[in-house]
Amino acid sequence: MSFATRAGVIRAVDGLSMSVERGETVGIVGESGSGKSVSMYSILGLLRDANVTIEGSVLFEGREILGRPDSELRAIRGKDIAMIFQDPMTALTPVYTVGWQIAEQIRQHTGASKKQARKRAIELLAEVAIPDPARRVDQYPHEFSGGMRQRAMIAMALSCEPSLIIADEPTTALDVTTQAQILELLGQLQQKRGSSIVMITHDMGVISEVAHRVVVMYAGRPAEIGTRTQLVREPRHPYTWGLLGAVPRLDSKRTRLITIPGTPASPLDVPEGCAFAPRCAYRFDRCEERPALHGDDHLDACWLEEPDKVRLRRAIEEAS
Amino acid sequence: MSEVILDVQDVTKTFTVRHGGAGARGRIQAVGGVSFEIRRGETLGIVGESGCGKSTLARCIAQLLPVSSGSVAFNGVTLTGLSRRQLRSHRREMQLVFQDPYASLNPRRTVGDIVAEPMRVHHRGTSEQIRDRVADLFRLVGLDVSSLVRYPHEFSGGQRQRIGIARALALNPQLIIADEPVSALDVSVQAQVLNLMADLQDELGLTYLFIAHDLGVVRHVSDRVGVMYLGELVEMASAEALYQAPAHPYTEALLSVAPELDDGRARTRERIVLAGDVPDPSDKPEGCPFHPRCPVAQDICRRVKPTLEVADDGRAVACHFPRRR
Ligand SMILES: Nc1ncnc2c1ncn2[C@@H]1O[C@H](COP(=O)(O)OP(=O)(O)OP(=O)(O)O)[C@@H](O)[C@H]1O
Ligand SMILES: Nc1ncnc2c1ncn2[C@@H]1O[C@H](COP(=O)(O)OP(=O)(O)OP(=O)(O)O)[C@@H](O)[C@H]1O
Ligand SMILES: [Mg+2]
Ligand SMILES: [Mg+2]
Repeated sequence: MSFATRAGVIRAVDGLSMSVERGETVGIVGESGSGKSVSMYSILGLLRDANVTIEGSVLFEGREILGRPDSELRAIRGKDIAMIFQDPMTALTPVYTVGWQIAEQIRQHTGASKKQARKRAIELLAEVAIPDPARRVDQYPHEFSGGMRQRAMIAMALSCEPSLIIADEPTTALDVTTQAQILELLGQLQQKRGSSIVMITHDMGVISEVAHRVVVMYAGRPAEIGTRTQLVREPRHPYTWGLLGAVPRLDSKRTRLITIPGTPASPLDVPEGCAFAPRCAYRFDRCEERPALHGDDHLDACWLEEPDKVRLRRAIEEAS
Repeated sequence: MSEVILDVQDVTKTFTVRHGGAGARGRIQAVGGVSFEIRRGETLGIVGESGCGKSTLARCIAQLLPVSSGSVAFNGVTLTGLSRRQLRSHRREMQLVFQDPYASLNPRRTVGDIVAEPMRVHHRGTSEQIRDRVADLFRLVGLDVSSLVRYPHEFSGGQRQRIGIARALALNPQLIIADEPVSALDVSVQAQVLNLMADLQDELGLTYLFIAHDLGVVRHVSDRVGVMYLGELVEMASAEALYQAPAHPYTEALLSVAPELDDGRARTRERIVLAGDVPDPSDKPEGCPFHPRCPVAQDICRRVKPTLEVADDGRAVACHFPRRR
């Protein structure tokens, strides 16, 4: 998918193929601006701008949903597929109380009475650990703290027990205790309803706790896809190595953090070959050609030979 | 030791809110008597659960919200009570990076204009100099200079957050109050921004009040760390001491539940899951605010509120039974 902007054409997502099984949690990680959010928006038909071009196919429960009319998508959104937005104010309007907004969502999709919907809204606020929900239900979004707004939106997304939840950085604004509660809540819904979750996050700690499989994105393209254990313990793509190396740890002192050298790929000017090559310490001639995502259950898009990858990764581990 | 740049004394902030539909009003004490100092060139980290009053405290310090009581002095000048006009010259030296980047960026201005605005308002240079400076700032935070002409909604979450940081840096302020400045950034860009903040500190002697919920990040950037609970500081110590040996049971619990990368290298630890309900500032318990969830609470904790006691090593703890190691 691409955007026509004043600065030029941005190819925000370029050849992403992935699948999510029932009851599975797939994590999406990647650099800021790598297309994580917009790839999920486009699935839901949330990008209907004249400047947007989307190609490809998206099947939900076997049915094509890309390009369906808005009325059809609206019925799916919220009920079957729910989106938790990165920015809570995308989903919440400032002019209505939080409770009204959640109740309205419930009424639209279930036909519950006003009273029932309000009661359910209070229960949901309690489930996302909002203190004193019976009072908070009548407050406006600006009276909530940043993390509370995020949780109110999660409550709204979960209100119809959707079969697929797309959660865009659902816990970024949350402290660790609240985060643990939200992850637990998502886990419960998954158990109860067999829901699937796509979780976009930059928090490798969260990924390594909840995701069954992980997609690593770089410059709009998938760089590596594998189980969380494969990704965290045997990462194959040099970008993934860099990503894991940069995680600030609780057990290390105040020092300079490790970064991936160079600047993020400009979305206006993604290299022809491997998008990561300009920043990669291991690049060679072949990287001028674009590598395909290859492998069986653990896939990566890198030209390095398998034994070299293992050797290099070991060397990095030993050095750190 | 360098001089005190920010002196926060007993700041409280109370909001009046609607109470259950019927128009009744209630009061929430979001910040309850917070005091601390920051010295020039230092980074003070603040951590605490969602809703504990971190952003409210930040806004009170930046004079974006009037305090209910207490005082804030910056460079020796008491800011609380000054008029908007009197505040202007001080505000320039004290910039806030907002927690919610999107809400703080005007959707109708290009991002280049947004970052240039503080310089224009304060007449910092010719339009050409400002343009160059904006381009430099964009490069510093890892954004494409060609994207200056785009609008905020065309950027990803993390890109917007970096635009907010660029804007805060524009006037070379002395103090930056950063409210979750890197929460939306992937680890590599996050590391770049944090390293940049550290470099600016070394070069320009910047001082930071750094609010974040990510304990790993806070540890990396902070000289000292304060832990907030229900609007109050419950522990404050050097980052080293706090992480090595938390004295307050709440700090200990917080550290124990932080998710870590399960790559076989993380230290093993026992998780302390806090019992009881998440606290609400409208309904503060008697005695120690933490006692309903505290694993080691005794009778006295239910009756007598502990004060923040400063020990010889500079560590301050508000607890009747702090852990000693
Ligand atoms: N409406 C839009 N118009 C033009 N460009 C856009 C628009 N929305 C996003 N983009 C661009 O598309 C690219 C991908 O954006 P996206 O929001 O998907 O990133 P992301 O991976 O979610 O990043 P982050 O981790 O920072 O949220 C970015 O370069 C962004 O600037
Ligand atoms: N304008 C307001 N009106 C009423 N109550 C408010 C207002 N702003 C904040 N509060 C309340 O004050 C308390 C503290 O909020 P604050 O935003 O300072 O929390 P925080 O520590 O920054 O949390 P988070 O980590 O979720 O951002 C919360 O209970 C919140 O609901
Ligand atoms: Mg995003
Ligand atoms: Mg906040």
